[in-house]
Amino acid sequence: MRILTLVAVLIVPLAAQAQDRAPILMDVTETHILPRFDKLPETTGALVSASLVDCDPTSPALRASYDAAFDSWISASHLRFGPTEVEDRAFALAFWPDTKGFTSKALSQHIAIEDDAVQSPEAYAETSIAGRGFFALERMLYDPAFAEPGNAEYRCALIKAITSDIDANARAMAEDWQSYAPNLTRPGEDSRYRTQDEAMQELFKALSTGLEFTADTRLGRPLGTFDRPRPNRAEARRSERSLRHVELSLIALRDLAARLSFDYPETAADLDAAFARAIENAQSIDDPALAGVADPQARFRIEALQQSIHDIRAIASTELGPTLGISAGFNSLDGD
Amino acid sequence: MTSRRQFLAGLAATTLSPIRSWASVGAPDFLAAGLFPDGSYRLAGLDAQGTILFSVPLPARGHAAAAHPFKAQAVAFARRPGTFAVVIDCGTGSPIAQLEAPKGRHFFGHGVFSADGMYFFVTENDYEAGEGIIGIWDAETFARLGEFPSGGVGPHDMRLMPDGNTLVIANGGIETHPETGRTKLNLPTMEPNLAYLTLSGTVQDQMSLSHRLHKNSIRHLAVRQDGLVGFAMQWQGSKAEHPPLLGLHRRGEDPRLLSAPEQDQSTLQGYAGSIAFSADGATIAITCPRGNALHRFDSAYGAFKDAFELQDVCGLGSGADGLIFTTGTGVFGELTNTDPVIQTRAKCQWDNHLIPIHSPA
Repeated sequence: MRILTLVAVLIVPLAAQAQDRAPILMDVTETHILPRFDKLPETTGALVSASLVDCDPTSPALRASYDAAFDSWISASHLRFGPTEVEDRAFALAFWPDTKGFTSKALSQHIAIEDDAVQSPEAYAETSIAGRGFFALERMLYDPAFAEPGNAEYRCALIKAITSDIDANARAMAEDWQSYAPNLTRPGEDSRYRTQDEAMQELFKALSTGLEFTADTRLGRPLGTFDRPRPNRAEARRSERSLRHVELSLIALRDLAARLSFDYPETAADLDAAFARAIENAQSIDDPALAGVADPQARFRIEALQQSIHDIRAIASTELGPTLGISAGFNSLDGD
Repeated sequence: MTSRRQFLAGLAATTLSPIRSWASVGAPDFLAAGLFPDGSYRLAGLDAQGTILFSVPLPARGHAAAAHPFKAQAVAFARRPGTFAVVIDCGTGSPIAQLEAPKGRHFFGHGVFSADGMYFFVTENDYEAGEGIIGIWDAETFARLGEFPSGGVGPHDMRLMPDGNTLVIANGGIETHPETGRTKLNLPTMEPNLAYLTLSGTVQDQMSLSHRLHKNSIRHLAVRQDGLVGFAMQWQGSKAEHPPLLGLHRRGEDPRLLSAPEQDQSTLQGYAGSIAFSADGATIAITCPRGNALHRFDSAYGAFKDAFELQDVCGLGSGADGLIFTTGTGVFGELTNTDPVIQTRAKCQWDNHLIPIHSPA
């Protein structure tokens, strides 16, 4: 027999007791999550079509469809659990940050040996994860270093292989989210979440890690330090999408935060005001690739944007977290 | 709360004192870092009953500590990515020296003295290269002497093997950079390993898990007197999977991975915080603060023995008889063959690790 002894009393925050979360779980799933994963394959499908019509890296139609598909991924990418996580799908769509330059190496390798994995989607999905997804495509479309090497025909085949792989991945996610959704809307015995609180906590975690990633990584990596700013580390800087990703992620996270805090109007108002300030900060910066991190004047505004996201995080963890029964364990939250 | 300035001022004011041995100081049996009720982070010396014998303020949140093999000195580390470690005279409870990470390096929070007490080895991050480093420090003057690669990325815990000539290092595999806080930068490509290095940095053995488990970060270690190494892991892959979080390894052999029945394993959230052998070496245990659980296994056969529910449990070490654990709620408890017994409940939050001090007989 297994011995299970309760030594310390579990302290459950009062607010988390016996509250019906079903309406919020239904709302977040039906109006926040599923529409994002429905839209993703629509835009990745258009990306495949555009690459089949014209695979020239400078093709305006191809670049526009790249932008649209990347937008729809960034707007869903904070939902990094369940079907998004399976088989490293999120990383296969967006391998970033790439601290050791694996994407460039993987693509150079394909081109150098004219890897025939580009001939079949199944084979391409088995190649290095760093050579797949939007960041690989960005290199092929925008990096001058990939405009010349090898022969044009192979580079075209490679672009098509990348777009088809992105699309297959997006479709697999969308399909699996349809079947995963009931886990969130109906927690219990047959669900991945035993209780409504567990499901709420998963969604809260998506909000808090989404904010953390945008503040610490999307902005923190290019900011570096004052003495050593790192403009070349900005996300998707080659296609000048760095600031756009910050804005898109804030818009998506604002929507999620509003739905999660629906039962607590004061918290909802605080969060919404904080998001409004951060989004306003982002929109007032005219620096798509965040190159301004290296300029003291421009840098100040990017730091202010980062601070405004830290402010949202503080409200989320001190006001929203406790209402969802998120315990602030000294060690359980430490992660070391 | 002690400011960094006050702390350094206190450090400067400390005069040289005669070298004391562990026995002369009313030897603490354990060291543990924690958050105290006045808001200060401290390193405390505890006796076998959990009574706080002394506590020394730290400039920031602590993580682990290392005890000198015979001098009554300990080095307390900041939580990663910390750049300081404090050497403490455990007789007076005063700081006597400070280690500052050199430029381009930070500490991971663990270190170990050589058996002769001459050198102090520290797990460090060369964060621009994203490579693990072992820093070598003079254990007399605490000057930095040099460094060598750790044999992987993100080295965390490190222990001295019983032969006294080999370091065993948990290369957790996760790349981080202080500019992005604790953000994990390389999850899809991470490759943790357990590395055995000579004291001069020659890699003698390296153990990696199968690719299916490449996201199981090897973090913390326990070493039995016969050289059996226990390692605790933190799963970075899908939360739908509940892989083993504890392994046993003997150099030159395949690792054995130990897991509780699914019903228990699935509650751990893929996270083990500390690992220790029991005093007699027959039991190996892990603490799992996210699952509020302590799991025990038979270290000879690898069989799961039992699970205990303990709120925010994390610190773990071998006691006189069995295991001692600490929690983020201030509990210092003992686990022998029966149920856990709370020895004391301090008004502080004990941090990740409990470090036993084995004073020579």
